[in-house]
Amino acid sequence: MRLHHGHPARSDEVARLAVCFRSVVHRYGSLVALDHLDLDVARGETLALLGPNGAGKSTAISILLGLQHHDEGTVTVLGTDPRSAMASGHVGAMLQVGGGSGLPNGVKVGELVAMVTRLYRNPAPVARTLGRAGLTQLAERQTQRLSGGQAQRVRFALAIAGDPELVFLDEPTVAMDVEGRRSFWSMMRDFAGEGRTVVFATHHLDEADAVADRIVVMRQGTVVANGPASAIKAAVPTRRLRFVLEEADQAALCDLDGVDVATVRGSEVVLDSFDADATLRALVRHGTSFRDIEITGAGLEQAFVALTGDLDEITTVDDAVAPRGSGASSENPT
Amino acid sequence: MTGLTTFLRFEVLRLLRNIRYVGITVGFPVVFYLLFLNDEHPAAQIAGTTWRTYFMVSMASFGAMVAALNASGTRLAAERASGWTRQLRVTPLPAWSYVSTKIVAAMVIVLPVIVLVEFTGFLLGGVRLGVGIWISLTVVLWVSSLPFASLGVLVGFVASSETAYPLVTALMFLLSFFGGLFNPVRSLPVVLRHVAVFLPTYHHAALGWAIVAGRAPDLVDIGVLLAYAILLGLAVTWRHRVEESRALA
Repeated sequence: MRLHHGHPARSDEVARLAVCFRSVVHRYGSLVALDHLDLDVARGETLALLGPNGAGKSTAISILLGLQHHDEGTVTVLGTDPRSAMASGHVGAMLQVGGGSGLPNGVKVGELVAMVTRLYRNPAPVARTLGRAGLTQLAERQTQRLSGGQAQRVRFALAIAGDPELVFLDEPTVAMDVEGRRSFWSMMRDFAGEGRTVVFATHHLDEADAVADRIVVMRQGTVVANGPASAIKAAVPTRRLRFVLEEADQAALCDLDGVDVATVRGSEVVLDSFDADATLRALVRHGTSFRDIEITGAGLEQAFVALTGDLDEITTVDDAVAPRGSGASSENPT
Repeated sequence: MTGLTTFLRFEVLRLLRNIRYVGITVGFPVVFYLLFLNDEHPAAQIAGTTWRTYFMVSMASFGAMVAALNASGTRLAAERASGWTRQLRVTPLPAWSYVSTKIVAAMVIVLPVIVLVEFTGFLLGGVRLGVGIWISLTVVLWVSSLPFASLGVLVGFVASSETAYPLVTALMFLLSFFGGLFNPVRSLPVVLRHVAVFLPTYHHAALGWAIVAGRAPDLVDIGVLLAYAILLGLAVTWRHRVEESRALA
């Protein structure tokens, strides 16, 4: 854990950090968007920022990029203030674009990347940026002829054109299909592997789990969990029991000791339990003829729900085990 | 500074490559000039000069306005909608450079448009002026086009990507018609003559009409254009601030 509650940061400590928020407050009128937020990102780290809408992610990001001022506290990016960091060219960002491509029309991909590259003092060679973003074949294509996924890769190229030390990605894979997401993250991992700092916000929990060194979960303008994915999952007491049972009675399974949610799909049963030992004993006691049992820790998805109380916000990958609409759910202890 | 010149070059090149933009900007004033040459009375006089000279100035003024308005209006609205303006804000380009580059790019295009209409007047309209007059006409029409460039940017900020194009087109025709670029203001109905004196187009062309007739430019024309330049500049700055203070989505 790297939380520092409101202590002023020492300068040598700040210099080692890529991003440092200390007790940052931001208000929109009477609404508190950031409530004494403390957040550190070490240099070279890949950090995922999770949280339901309205948790303050976007506000934190705007401040980090120097697009918005904060009301209280201190924000340091690469040892300086956010605007200077941006002007220095050591920060790159891929923002969310509503429905548009995020690109200007009437220009070829290669020309656009070359133009943005020249805005930086110590940029990466254009050919390398194009190669990294998988755009070498598309360099001669006009921007208005790109598909959604291709436009997103161009925006990624623009974010890394300046050879930045710190890259921020706001939901970078939002419009991509599964294959697109896979190749995007493999691209991103190579890039982060060169000692760069990457901060990304996502709704795909599997991406956070697979890519990030550390996950920060925000809720109501403050950090509610902070650590590697394994630590966040371990903090939630739920275990998942999965087995095969013919003619399962969902209501009866739900009444077993420790069971929070029982999901039955044909002969496959999934039980989310607060006390896996008690549940297993109860199954045996009742003489249930289960087979192929498997007990696993909570997924990131259950941890997220437990931490934020928000189910609608997340995108589940493993939709066969979506913990919705069954049994005595939603009273997860935190 | 290299960042700014890079961005300016990029903007100007994109404008020049846009066939529709170049077609409207160059085609309209030249074609209208040739259509209304008035071949039946080649020596017709107006406001102390020939009709062909007078109308060449009108069309140079018209071309300058069309080039400036179309350079930023529609395009800027589309770039705001697509998210490109926001992406530029996360580069080392200073925040003010986007707007100022749009205005400068418009001005860069305006100059050759004015020269082209003058060249058409010389070549096909038989307009003959002294070298000093040609030069001062060109420079004065060019510099005084600044309010049109600012107006284009303002439209781009105020309009959405759907409304920008009709708005620019409407402005183009209203300003040129009521500003007396197609019919001399004296030939307009009385009510409309009072409208003309409030429009930048009228005063822009009036500067040129004075020069070709050998008169000194009227201080009222200069004053009105200056007032337009300042007011539109302030409006653009204000809209830009509003836009900038908006949070991310």
